[in-house]
Amino acid sequence: MTNKPYESMSEFQMALRTFSRNRVALFCVLVLFLLYMGAIFADFLSPYRYDNEDRRYSYCPPTQIHFFDDGAPSWPFVYGIDLEYNEYHKRIYTEDRSKKYPVKLLMKGDEYRLLGFIPIKTHLWGVEAPGRVYLIGADSRGRDLWSRILYGSRVSLSIGLIGVFISFTIGLLVGGISGYYGGRVDNILMRIAEMVMMVPGFYLLLALRAAVPPDFNSVQVYFAIIIILSFIGWAGLARIIRGMCLSLREREFVMAAKSIGLSDFKIIVRHILPHTLSYSIFAVMLSIPGYILGESALSLIGLGIQDPFASWGNMLSDAMSIVKIKFYPWILVPGFFIFITVISFNVVGDALRDALDPMLKSEGQG
Amino acid sequence: MSYTDRFLRYIQTVLLIALMTLTFQSQVSAEPPSSKYGGQLVFAIVSDPKSFNQIMAKEASTTAVTGFLFEGLTTTNAHTTQVEPHLAESWEVSEDGLQWTFHLRRDVRWNDGQPFTADDVVFTFNDLIFNENIPSSARDIYTIDGQQFLVEKVDKFTVRFTLPIRFAPFLRGMGQAIFPRHKLKQLVDDGKFNFSWGIDADPREIVGTGPFKLVRYDPGQRLLYEKNEHYWKVSDDGERLPYIDKIVYLIVGNEDVQLLKFMEGSTDSYSVRGLDYPLLKPLEKERNFTVYDLGPDTGSQFLFFNQNTGTNPETGQSYVPAHKLRWFTDLSFRRAVAHSIDKQRIIEIVKNRLGYPQWSPIGPASAFFHKPDVTKYEYNLETARRILAEAGYTDRNGDGYLEDSQGQKIEFNLATNAGNIQRTDIASIIRHDLEKLGMKVNFQTLEFNTLVTNINSTFQWDAIILGLTGGIEPHFGKNVWNSAGQLHMWYPRQEQPATEWEARIDELFNMGVQELNEEQRKVYYDEFQQIVSDQLPLIYTVLGANVSAVRNKFGNLDPTNYGGVFHNIEELYILEEYR
Amino acid sequence: MALDKTLKFVRSNGMFLYVMKRLLISIPMLLAIALLTFILMQMTPGDYLDTMRMNPQMSEETIEYYQKLYQLDQPVWKQFGAWLINMCKLEFGYSFHYNVPVTKIIGGRLFNTFILSLASFLLTWAVAIPLGIWAALNRNKFSDRFIQFMSYVGLSMPSFFLAMIFLYFASQTGVLPLGGMYGPNHEDLNWFQKIWDVMRHMAIPAVALSVGSIAGLQRIMRGNMLEVLGQKYILTAKAKGLPQNRIVYHHALRNAVNPMITLLGYEFSGLLSGAALIEIICSWPGLGALMLTAVRSKDIYLVMASMMMGGFLFLIGNLLADIALAKVDPRIRYD
Repeated sequence: MTNKPYESMSEFQMALRTFSRNRVALFCVLVLFLLYMGAIFADFLSPYRYDNEDRRYSYCPPTQIHFFDDGAPSWPFVYGIDLEYNEYHKRIYTEDRSKKYPVKLLMKGDEYRLLGFIPIKTHLWGVEAPGRVYLIGADSRGRDLWSRILYGSRVSLSIGLIGVFISFTIGLLVGGISGYYGGRVDNILMRIAEMVMMVPGFYLLLALRAAVPPDFNSVQVYFAIIIILSFIGWAGLARIIRGMCLSLREREFVMAAKSIGLSDFKIIVRHILPHTLSYSIFAVMLSIPGYILGESALSLIGLGIQDPFASWGNMLSDAMSIVKIKFYPWILVPGFFIFITVISFNVVGDALRDALDPMLKSEGQG
Repeated sequence: MSYTDRFLRYIQTVLLIALMTLTFQSQVSAEPPSSKYGGQLVFAIVSDPKSFNQIMAKEASTTAVTGFLFEGLTTTNAHTTQVEPHLAESWEVSEDGLQWTFHLRRDVRWNDGQPFTADDVVFTFNDLIFNENIPSSARDIYTIDGQQFLVEKVDKFTVRFTLPIRFAPFLRGMGQAIFPRHKLKQLVDDGKFNFSWGIDADPREIVGTGPFKLVRYDPGQRLLYEKNEHYWKVSDDGERLPYIDKIVYLIVGNEDVQLLKFMEGSTDSYSVRGLDYPLLKPLEKERNFTVYDLGPDTGSQFLFFNQNTGTNPETGQSYVPAHKLRWFTDLSFRRAVAHSIDKQRIIEIVKNRLGYPQWSPIGPASAFFHKPDVTKYEYNLETARRILAEAGYTDRNGDGYLEDSQGQKIEFNLATNAGNIQRTDIASIIRHDLEKLGMKVNFQTLEFNTLVTNINSTFQWDAIILGLTGGIEPHFGKNVWNSAGQLHMWYPRQEQPATEWEARIDELFNMGVQELNEEQRKVYYDEFQQIVSDQLPLIYTVLGANVSAVRNKFGNLDPTNYGGVFHNIEELYILEEYR
Repeated sequence: MALDKTLKFVRSNGMFLYVMKRLLISIPMLLAIALLTFILMQMTPGDYLDTMRMNPQMSEETIEYYQKLYQLDQPVWKQFGAWLINMCKLEFGYSFHYNVPVTKIIGGRLFNTFILSLASFLLTWAVAIPLGIWAALNRNKFSDRFIQFMSYVGLSMPSFFLAMIFLYFASQTGVLPLGGMYGPNHEDLNWFQKIWDVMRHMAIPAVALSVGSIAGLQRIMRGNMLEVLGQKYILTAKAKGLPQNRIVYHHALRNAVNPMITLLGYEFSGLLSGAALIEIICSWPGLGALMLTAVRSKDIYLVMASMMMGGFLFLIGNLLADIALAKVDPRIRYD
């Protein structure tokens, strides 16, 4: 951005330095990085595909990976799985010590397309069939929860990013136009934004979901959810950006741009909006959790992503059953993934705000 | 005053309130001891009733909450499943079996105190069930060959039914609930019956002869029943029934919360799902309840395909696209699907081994008519693949999906109703196997009403998984099996039977209903079961087990598979320490 | 005479005028919600007249009545007019799912949602304010660090997940009733026990709902307090040798709490929205749970009425907050 004032570049560097001194925030950045990498390479990192099921092993507990064989260190392996029912019809899983399956690296398994286009069968790790490895346990149909969490993160994490992207684009444009022109345009746009903000979010979410045709398939529902969440999310941002633009439009550099005859649109996009960047950066970080939670909530109550596709929300819907939590506590794990993601975004967002604080003050926003 | 002081005062108040509540509670529990009378019974149900209008009702939610309100002339013994007198104390039948005369009990009163008479019976049949303006599924059952019963009042306590032809399940059919003429006649005459007795009705207006009456309904929360002071039944010791004072139905939308409420002791009974069994069974002693396993239940779940050959008269388009209809009406296709239903695993996963595979339309719960040795389809995807290949369904273009002989990719929608987790689980398992065969199956969960609308009115659907509740009498399934039936789901209300086997089933039902010899009837219904298992209009999955957990607070408890735990609700009493 | 008196009362009572003015302002806002709702309803697939006709429990007259009432055979803008007028008359249409007019179902649910939101609202403030003060007074000590850490956890813990965990623990210990709003024999209790009964049922959903807000509010309170404590007049008071408690409670607290009041309305609406999900998980018979059923069964009038009522509760919350603000902060005048 060539037209950005010089001093703000150095301010930006200062902010980066402040941020990098915050160890907790850096750790959270790392966590987020790992999570997103996990989502991108989900099919490679997971031993099974999201719909690879083995019905014998319904709610199989986590498989123990052994590093010692008869007391002697050995290449990691798992035992076979034995299943019995007790007198109360409870599943009792035990290790079948007669069968050993070594953990294999770069193992051939379910076929998938790496990065969406390279057809490949190699998985980072796994065990040869008929052995079965459940790192954190299985779901009702014996699908590997760990694999499903990785696949599910694709939905849950991407919805945050895409949703934020869409609503920030709308929010920035609407806020920018509204603040720059003021007057009647401002009035109308802001009334619309207020209208959206006024209905409690979850009610609006449900009402919008009711407007989605019932015969949508999973992919269509996925996009419908993104659009719904973005629709709810843009208004708040637009209002704040507008406030900033109202003060920015009186500044010298806008006057200068006007005097050389730049079009209004160019002024808004090239000269005004970049100055709201510092605010936008941490606002993005702080609002992503809202999208992740929105998707989870919808999927949790059965209005979101449908089986067999995985999302953290619909995996957690299994845990709405107290009985299942009691016997198979590992089905709560997706909830912790949501928690970790949300807390990481919150910490990073807060740290960014602290770091960018001086910049905000210089833009006239406290 | 400083903030700390205020805070202390606040704490004091809270403690005081807590103490007061404790004392109040101890006062309430002290009641004078007495005989078997008193106490309350608390149930939980999943959803609000949609209506109290039992004649119109299609959903289980209504039948569940009106069960204690109304009675029929006869009843079915919960042990022997034989028909017994109820509101009618005796009856005679003419030589030819066509004329039945019922003598009503003279001591029956509606719960508002009005006497129950022959007029009510005549009204129920002539003005409600046979009323063309009132849609009721009962009419199908009491209509034989398009002809209806003639119902006449002989005197105040005698009613005569004249049947057009012999009707084997007639006595059992007289279990039909009787409704009060004095409350409903005016409404029927004004044409308002169809929307009266809705959930906004004043509970006092809902008048029945049953042991309990509705006194209060708080939508979304609960229904409250009190005992009918006018109830006619008397115990063997000459005590006026019922013993229990109150019945509460808590509306608890979530089955898990229902379970918890039962475990914490706020409800008295819980219908145990397979997955709850390992949790509840070991707690029986400690928590003072008993788990009764009463055998296979009567609710069937099945998969079926749309075989409607009709066209929409308005648009001129066929309801089912031609290529899909070709598959769905192809017996090989349905047989292949039947071979890919993994009943054993479904029972293990969905029912936690508390279930039974179902093969025949008349389930094992109706012991006499059940035919165990119908055609069975073992779970074997290889067999299924072979059948499909022989019928010309192969992957012709190597895309991983099957195509039919004309190159159409096998792709269809499979729907089931939302909210029933077990059913969606069954659907997911079946879908997974069908996909393994190479069919592209798009799974959707729709609201129950939407599904029913699709089946009954728009006819635009491909495959559905749904459930029905069965009974002892096969004829009462006529609205499903008769080709002209409302619930003939794969192709409802046919003018002419579309296939030979459907015509034969129509015939069998017509013969079966007129045959008074039970053994001969069984022959007809056996053939019917054989045809259904061969032709697979409905592809059955699994039956659950009828398991109930009941708190140990009742006397005279006598659970049976047919009647469930509370079939003799009027005789149940609550042990003194629980009143 | 009477008119005179009224006028006098109005003139002398600024508060009354203020409230009236706020009420007037809310009218266009409600209109706006109605418009949004109506647009949504138009977007929803399916013709509700057809749905009505297919329902045998609807009489021809009822269908005609609603057709006329909502002018369903007229152009869209006329339909909106009819819809608006009906909204004003509290005529919300017919629920296909329950087979009764929507108005009959929605009232009780509205109240239930309101008291749940109100309870968590009170809980939030009763806990967050003292916690924020405590944290500020012990800045950077262990207790402060711990509170700040926990508030991050609280902020990031999805409320539905928390509710699920609470339900699980309550089921293990049996101290609290699970699900619903009333015990089975609620009807037999006296008014006092009734309140107690509802409070016990409310505990889990209210706490699950409050945790996030407590965490957020506590952080704001702490920030405000720290800012006030750093101001000159406090330092002066300290220098004068006033006792610590007096400084904190008399001078600092007032000035730190006042700016928080502006958050009242915002907080309340947040709770209201969050309550919907919690209601569903805890089987609380409120508006959110009702709306979910309505959405699932495509009961469109019920969905829209629930949404309108949600917006309405939001406005009430805002109004109450404004009044509270005006009461507390003398700088705000009633005009």
